[in-house]
Amino acid sequence: MNPIAMSLLLTVALGVFGRTMARKIQLLRALAPADRTNHLKQRLANMFVFAIGQKRLIGRARERSSGIMHALIFWGFCVLLIRSLTLYGQGFYEGFQLPWLGGGHLAGYLYLAVKDVMEGIVLLMVLYAVFRRAVLKPRRLHNTFEAYLVLALIGILMVSDLLLDGARYNLVHLYHNAKTIPFFNHPRYGSEFLWTPVAVGASALISGLGASANAAILATMFWLHICTQLVFLNILPLGKHFHVITALPNVFLKSLGYPHEKAQLLDLEDEAAWEDESLGVNHIHQLNWKQGLDLYTCTECGRCKEVCPTYTTDKPLNLYEFNDKLKHALLANADNIIRRSGLAAARARCGDDEQAAGLAEQMSALNSEKQLIGDIIAADTLWACTTCRACEEVCPVTIEHVPRIIAMRQGQTLMAEAYPKELNPALKGLERNGNPWGIGYDKRADWADGLGVQTMAADADVDYLFWVGCAGSFDDRAKKVSRSLVKILQRAGVRFAILGVEEKCTGDFARRVGNEMLFQMAAQENIATLNRYKVKKIITACPHCLNTLRHEYPQMGGNYEVIHHSEFIAQLVKTGRIELQPSLAGALAYHDPCYLGRYNEIFEQPRSILASVCQDAPRELPRHGRESFCCGAGGGRMWMEETIGKRINLERAEEIAGQNVAHVAVACPFCLTMIEDGMKELEKEELIKTRDIAELVAESMA
Amino acid sequence: MKILTTVKKVVDVELNIHVKDGAIVEDGLQYVINAWDENGVETAVQLKEDSGAETTLVSIGGGDNTDVIRRCYAMGIESGMHIDDPALEKADAFIYARVLQKVFEAGDYDLVITGKQAQDTDNGQTGIILAEYLGLPCVSNVIGIEVLDDKHLKVSRSGDAGTEIVALELPAVVTVDVSINEPRLPQMRGLMMAKKKAIEKMDLTALGTSADEIGCAAPKSEIVAFMATEKRSGGRKFEGDAAEITARVVDLLANEAKVL
Repeated sequence: MNPIAMSLLLTVALGVFGRTMARKIQLLRALAPADRTNHLKQRLANMFVFAIGQKRLIGRARERSSGIMHALIFWGFCVLLIRSLTLYGQGFYEGFQLPWLGGGHLAGYLYLAVKDVMEGIVLLMVLYAVFRRAVLKPRRLHNTFEAYLVLALIGILMVSDLLLDGARYNLVHLYHNAKTIPFFNHPRYGSEFLWTPVAVGASALISGLGASANAAILATMFWLHICTQLVFLNILPLGKHFHVITALPNVFLKSLGYPHEKAQLLDLEDEAAWEDESLGVNHIHQLNWKQGLDLYTCTECGRCKEVCPTYTTDKPLNLYEFNDKLKHALLANADNIIRRSGLAAARARCGDDEQAAGLAEQMSALNSEKQLIGDIIAADTLWACTTCRACEEVCPVTIEHVPRIIAMRQGQTLMAEAYPKELNPALKGLERNGNPWGIGYDKRADWADGLGVQTMAADADVDYLFWVGCAGSFDDRAKKVSRSLVKILQRAGVRFAILGVEEKCTGDFARRVGNEMLFQMAAQENIATLNRYKVKKIITACPHCLNTLRHEYPQMGGNYEVIHHSEFIAQLVKTGRIELQPSLAGALAYHDPCYLGRYNEIFEQPRSILASVCQDAPRELPRHGRESFCCGAGGGRMWMEETIGKRINLERAEEIAGQNVAHVAVACPFCLTMIEDGMKELEKEELIKTRDIAELVAESMA
Repeated sequence: MKILTTVKKVVDVELNIHVKDGAIVEDGLQYVINAWDENGVETAVQLKEDSGAETTLVSIGGGDNTDVIRRCYAMGIESGMHIDDPALEKADAFIYARVLQKVFEAGDYDLVITGKQAQDTDNGQTGIILAEYLGLPCVSNVIGIEVLDDKHLKVSRSGDAGTEIVALELPAVVTVDVSINEPRLPQMRGLMMAKKKAIEKMDLTALGTSADEIGCAAPKSEIVAFMATEKRSGGRKFEGDAAEITARVVDLLANEAKVL
């Protein structure tokens, strides 16, 4: 007990920590706004599942050992927080205990027992962590001094507390200082040391050193523990271990209702926004505060890059490095960002035009000298992303990488007009003829010739609109899928129609490449058409159309029930409206499209359909479900050349070919093209047939 | 350097063109900038950006050409004029060239850039006739332009034997091929600015000429009628024994098609 020393330590340590934290929070507050305060219940549930429950650490089979290791250290830390408070109290009052956790309560004993075991476990986990880093060296990890320092500090915290208790045990039971050393000794529960086997074990290490040495160890370990903890606390915000503090709030504040923050519906008519260059993200201060918090929280664990289709095929996008670079840019510009936001607030209040212009000038003078794209993030890195969301799905702290990338693409396309020019033909095709192939819009319904499919223009009194999509309308391979789906719908007696030449590209790829103008033009036109026909239910075979119609059109006033053909067919089978023969011979594997699975949580329906068309049970690919591997076409990549590294579709085709299957089923026209092309490249297109589930179903209908 | 660029509004050839009673069915058609002219505009804008050229655009006929001209503004053209007159309804390449001659003479241009042809008529004559009328040197099928000084260009063109490099003294006319560049796609900012820019609209009188002077009354060529290309009907498929099929095909070729 030394109240003066303890007060001094706490004042200095908490003072410095408070100042660091205030600064970090101030920086976040200076960033752009984001609304993350609704649905508290759901947010708390997320926090329990993902943060406290460590779902993505222990839930992934391939990462289970390190996941359990991390979870145990985390849970051990949670337990030890209570012990820390007790120790701080004991700095002021000898024998201080928290309410109900003293020697008079069973809870006190139970707590000591749990704490004791957890300390032992955490210590073992720290040793395992060091072994893992130093010897096993998993590829996703990069070893840093910080990582070892933090492990060392955790180790010291455990060892010091165990030795502290060990020395107490020795002094009480070996050197008979029971009167001067406070310890629990309840008539019913006995000595506290009966409950703390690990500490008693530790006591054996120092039992032969004598009473005075044990007393000295007791005092030293007490202060070593306190000091280490306070040093640890102050180191946390400086590096990747900031996640210890920010992970819980970051998970609490994650996006709800859609897997990540939807692309912002930019007001393109706002002339002031064009003047201020405030559309999209072209400067580090344009990130919103949640994106800033994401950067604070990145733990550099590398899970994101390990599952990233671009990183694994040798492209320059390394997501943790991406985050790290942005974080450093954010911190390096902290002063200017904070000053800038002060000026922005003053400008918003100011009524005088001249003064406002002056403030605007001062604001732009505070922009970082470094170009966000070019100096900090290379253009090739930004444009490599296929927006597949594999990274987000494995991130233990729910960092949302993709919306940030899209916002940066918006900034590049809209403000800087710097985007891969190879996109021009597709964008021009969208603009002129409503499809990225640029084929005449009037040929959009040619695929349906002779099928007896009616258009909404002819008769809009139907139950469903079949949204065909550009691929289903113009791509020769995908047209076969459209025809198969028509056959299924007709067999089931579904009353449906198509829009025909009135349908336009949903604008999905334009939005993913940051061309908000073309996205909004396409969406506006489509919504007007859909609303004119009072469309309520839409079936589509394209997950990209599905995603855009279902989640993005509501931003512009288009609200429809949008159903993927896999959901619809599964329902038709279930209700007996179509009957399938399990006639398909040969092994079959299913490839989960990103925008169907990860984006829209449709994993089961395609599998249930396939189970009813195959003679044998469908197989799972090594990377499937939530961790399925992208085909390489998303995020507008379909319309760009893939010149760096190995081609993503080839990587996926090889994975499929490695499974000795005769068929691979997909549920997306772009996956169909990419994987079939991959098979052609491997010269296996005859051995492994790439088919859409609709084609397989149409062939298996009784 | 002052550049005059020409732009023609043409039907989008990606669409199915339907013909009824010798005339094109307008219903469902949409109009776009002639692809070669888009390359011409891009060439002019690049010369503006790299060599400080002044860029003016002229478009003739076509009714409402606002969208086409605005798109060129959004690409970077500084000023534009639209010349339309009822007398130009049946204009051919000679008449267009006469109008362009008047425009050229009214300005003080050093270089005329036209697309080498228009994708609706595929004539490829206007730029060359204009050069003849003006008595200026002309290089056609241009695939590259390098500015040597105020008065001299080094121009490359695609010729029979390969790329030809031509030294060109200004003023001159060039007609460009699509391979000269990749036209930029106008973006929102440019399109918004373009909306605010004026388009100078003129009829022949305002241009300082008349229908008679440029020969509207007697075009040298006239489109009499349009005809739709014949649709190929699907072929016949034969399956089965190769020898039988061969005999059957030979029989059909001899007796039905009567080509053997």
